[in-house]
Amino acid sequence: MGHDGYPSLFRSEQMSLVQFFIPTEVAHDTVSELGELGDVQFKDLNPDVNPFQRSFVAEIRRVDEMSRRVRFFATQIEKEKDKIPVRPLYDSVPLVTVGPRVAQTIDELEVKLADHEHRLIQMNESYQTMSERTRELVEARHVLRETAVFFDRAQGHESEIRASLDDSSQPLLAHDDREAQFSSGAISFDLEFVAGTIDRTRLSTFERILWRVLRGNLYMNHTDIAEPFVDPVTQGETRKNVFIIFAHGEVLLAKIRKVAESMGATLYPIDPNAERRHEALKDVQGRLEDLQTVLYNTGATRREELVRIGESLSSWQDLVRKEKIIYETLNYFNYDARRKTLIAEGWCPTRDIIPIQLALRHATEESGTSVPPILQEIRTNKKPPTFHRTNKFTEGYQTIIDSYGIATYQEVNPGLFTVITFPFLFAVMFGDIGHGFIIFVAAILMILAERKMAKSDLGEIIGTFFYGRYIILLMGVFSMFTGLMYNDIFSKSLHIWRSGWDFSDPQHGTPNGHVYPFGLDPAWHGADNALVFTNSYKMKMSIIIGVIHMTFAICLQVPNHLHFKRPFNIYAEFIPQILFLQSIFGYLVVCIILKWTTDWSKAPTQPPGLLNMLIYMFLSPGYVKAEERLFAGQSILQILLLLVALVCVPWMLCVKPYMAWKEMKAHEGDGYGRLGLGDDVNGELIAEEEGEGQLVAEQMEDQEEHHDFGEVVIHQVIHTIEFCLGCISNTASYLRLWALSLAHAQLSEVLWSMTLESFLSPSGVFGFIALIIMGIVWFTLTVFILCVMEGLSAFLHALRLHWVEANGKHYEAGGYAFQPLTFANLDENA
Amino acid sequence: MEALFFNVDSGYLEGVVRGYKGGILTQSHYANLTQCETIEDFRMQLGSTDYGNFLANESLPISTSTIADKATQILVEQFHYMRSNAVEPLSKFLDYMTYAYMIDNVVLLITGTLHERDTHELLERCHPLGIFDTMPALCVATNVEELYQSVLVETPLAPYFRECLSASDLDDLNIEIIRNTLYKAYLEDFHRFCMSLGGPTADNMSRLLEFEADRRTINITINSFNTELTKEQRAKLFPAIGRLYPEGNNALAKADDIDQVRQVCDNVPEYRPFFDSAGSARSRPNGSSLVVEDDGDALAVASALEDRFFAMEVHLNKLAFLQQFQYGVFYSYIKLKEHEIRSLTWIAECIAQDARERIQDFIPIF
Repeated sequence: MGHDGYPSLFRSEQMSLVQFFIPTEVAHDTVSELGELGDVQFKDLNPDVNPFQRSFVAEIRRVDEMSRRVRFFATQIEKEKDKIPVRPLYDSVPLVTVGPRVAQTIDELEVKLADHEHRLIQMNESYQTMSERTRELVEARHVLRETAVFFDRAQGHESEIRASLDDSSQPLLAHDDREAQFSSGAISFDLEFVAGTIDRTRLSTFERILWRVLRGNLYMNHTDIAEPFVDPVTQGETRKNVFIIFAHGEVLLAKIRKVAESMGATLYPIDPNAERRHEALKDVQGRLEDLQTVLYNTGATRREELVRIGESLSSWQDLVRKEKIIYETLNYFNYDARRKTLIAEGWCPTRDIIPIQLALRHATEESGTSVPPILQEIRTNKKPPTFHRTNKFTEGYQTIIDSYGIATYQEVNPGLFTVITFPFLFAVMFGDIGHGFIIFVAAILMILAERKMAKSDLGEIIGTFFYGRYIILLMGVFSMFTGLMYNDIFSKSLHIWRSGWDFSDPQHGTPNGHVYPFGLDPAWHGADNALVFTNSYKMKMSIIIGVIHMTFAICLQVPNHLHFKRPFNIYAEFIPQILFLQSIFGYLVVCIILKWTTDWSKAPTQPPGLLNMLIYMFLSPGYVKAEERLFAGQSILQILLLLVALVCVPWMLCVKPYMAWKEMKAHEGDGYGRLGLGDDVNGELIAEEEGEGQLVAEQMEDQEEHHDFGEVVIHQVIHTIEFCLGCISNTASYLRLWALSLAHAQLSEVLWSMTLESFLSPSGVFGFIALIIMGIVWFTLTVFILCVMEGLSAFLHALRLHWVEANGKHYEAGGYAFQPLTFANLDENA
Repeated sequence: MEALFFNVDSGYLEGVVRGYKGGILTQSHYANLTQCETIEDFRMQLGSTDYGNFLANESLPISTSTIADKATQILVEQFHYMRSNAVEPLSKFLDYMTYAYMIDNVVLLITGTLHERDTHELLERCHPLGIFDTMPALCVATNVEELYQSVLVETPLAPYFRECLSASDLDDLNIEIIRNTLYKAYLEDFHRFCMSLGGPTADNMSRLLEFEADRRTINITINSFNTELTKEQRAKLFPAIGRLYPEGNNALAKADDIDQVRQVCDNVPEYRPFFDSAGSARSRPNGSSLVVEDDGDALAVASALEDRFFAMEVHLNKLAFLQQFQYGVFYSYIKLKEHEIRSLTWIAECIAQDARERIQDFIPIF
């Protein structure tokens, strides 16, 4: 790559560490321009400085305050019951964010925001006090009404009350007084009471406490208020009850009042006189009406204000977010000695230096000054970030690899090959023309509606599918191909060419000399030994595909070793590894193909079991039973291959550590020794225990990478064991291709036979209705179980084969991603 | 054995609480916080910790009490999350933890009512972990009997309260006695409960609760010098657990001055340094200056002692995290977090009042 000047996925982009010298007056515009370009990752040049001691803290704080205001508006608009239109960003008048007028724009905006906030808060407050007042009046009205009902009822029972009063053991004289009072015709009775409203959830507690405090000396009545009260600020609903409590004596009443107050109840003075109550009710009604008109007007003005804010809210949000990012970036910069220029460092793709320079010039022009920022490339031994230039097609595939690990800088990127191998391995497990076609159509639909869907918020699940639409597309195409190979369409088979078998005798097929030109002969479908045949075929195919895939993965080491100038590793790692794999499993693949191509009906021996052959190659080397021999000289070849494999193990194990050791000796011979660093280990451990691991890690990072001989040995031992055992287990792991493919085929067959098959020859109207219903059921289940569920499972297994079996063979994944300063996806992180 | 089944019920919550513990501010955070010039800096600095932008929507200026309230609110939310996900016996354990706050709230309300404070203001000052339904009714009570009959009888505190029924009037001394009696009963009950759980929970919690009990015993003793509290009454307030119990408690019950207290504490090696340096040294080991005027001055010793107790408590609570499969971590986390909030408030207060020289007088946790 790199030489021809076109970006490629094979290796990550070549990066340069660049230094910018930016005059202070264009700094803001430069960063803004670079943010629009989205191609530079700035380094923090003052990591030791506290966030609040940096140069642009004041600006950030100002922006924070502005964003708090904008957030306040947004929540206010959201809370409003009738939806207030917020003009989308692309429709709004853009605010000037660069040029000499930017400071003024921001000043103006700040004043405007403060203004709006002030007005809104004021309106909210008055709205709130007024709704509070309204609520009280409404409650008072309820209390009046409900108590009126109660009093009316009580009046009906007045005689009984009097009787009960008579019964009580009151002094006789007082009794006379009372008697006189009542008989004088006054209808008021002198039971004292407290009335008010209380939160419904607290009612039972309230009642219980009162009962306990007054030792049962009370009579309480309460009714629900039907409509809920809405808090104007939080929009929360509370439900309340009206209560009226009768008790006797000032002390008790005082207690009731105190309890009621501390329980958050509101008390209302109610007159026992019916006429006065009526007057009070009328009065309350009147005041309520007045208040409601005022309230309505306030609400309307507030709404108007919010609508006006909604007009430009999204452009404010955008501006505030951008400004915040700009100043945060500016905080990464260093001042030069005279504080006239800012110095910035950052990574950018080498090929993009020219566009960046253009952007810098553009920024200078915009800001109207004549001093341009200067860009200078600097040499460094620091590890650059990894940047793969993807497009909408390759993005999904690259993400599959990136989620395993970010490639080391300039390492061979498996993402490129994943574009084909991933859908292919998926399709091997998902081989069915019909199912493949369904997901292909789904992907095509998503791609056609791409623009529209990209804009709308799809939610997590649909969004994920949409993100992988090009993966799904290729998965569908490849599934149709493997479906043709397996000759499988919704568990049925296609008769395209003439079959190679005749069934003159329904029990036995006889070959008729034809060869089915492509894929599986449809005659196998429905045959008794169909499963035996396809199993054997798919199992062997899985092994072949697996060995090829792994061989390819090992081979990808070579360009890495060549690129990173360590050709020695080719001899010490690549060659023994490839020999080891080929001498065992390569041989197995050759045997499989040999077995397939031999016409066993004419051969003198029975077809040998390849599994046993491989096992006995290790258990009894050099001995192959005559009746199981595949070809002449097999035993000699097997001994030879076994020896090669055995030699490879110590080769892998020893050569690299030995070379490292020799190199170290040479160094020591030159007089370089190691410096001891054992002293602070204890201190560090303690510090780590105390939760300061972060600091320690940072210190460690600064140290030059230390080549320890013991480390090399241990690493190599682990690597060797892992590779040798991995070869066996990984090959076996590819059998999942067969297993999933089998499961898929069986499942679709079961679905077919259990739903649609028995309804296929309908008789009469009901037969047709049943056919239609069953057809729908079958199709739904096909889509959801076979395409979505099975598809996800096949996807998962294809993912694993790439991550573990293939990537493990060559992919170092020790890099870190390139995260340029960009305004592109502000919404997501804000 | 507990390792076998602990995770079935409480593994998730232990993971959660250990994750929460990871968010406790460290020395380097404090170092940054103490350098702040204004409360705004303070807010910004906290923004990079686990507190996140919990103050972001507060309009300026921010008062220190807002910071404390918001921080407590986070703690309370975490506690409620754990409580609602807990099953027996952890849920019971967590309930027990709230009783201490209930006692504080009850005492706060009674005292407030006695001094005729506004009820709503009092309710706002109550610790949110110790709130119970019938709490507001406390302010109508005028004597102990009524207090018990009308409100406390249905709270979990009721059994602790029976001891106090002998006191008749509510005055400052009696309230203090009530508080300590309640606390004594509570500590003993909680201790018994933890012992019944057995295993590492019992080990860890007994260590923590015994220290708590000893601390109260010593505090009661020191505070009761030169008051009208008789020695018999004093002895009744001492929790019957702790490392000083029983000989130490008996001796403390008879103590007349701070030297006798020191002699008692000398018997427990861990408690010895409390008085050693408190009496003789003039500054705390971590460099902050807390001048002890006179060796016999009980007040100064007591306040130095208080700091030492806090340091010891933090230390013990940190130890609780070294063992797995036990409930001590929940208790310790809440205690440590309270310390953190106290430290944060202290720093914020120092910044707000521009008292830089005292800003280091907090107890860092990690």
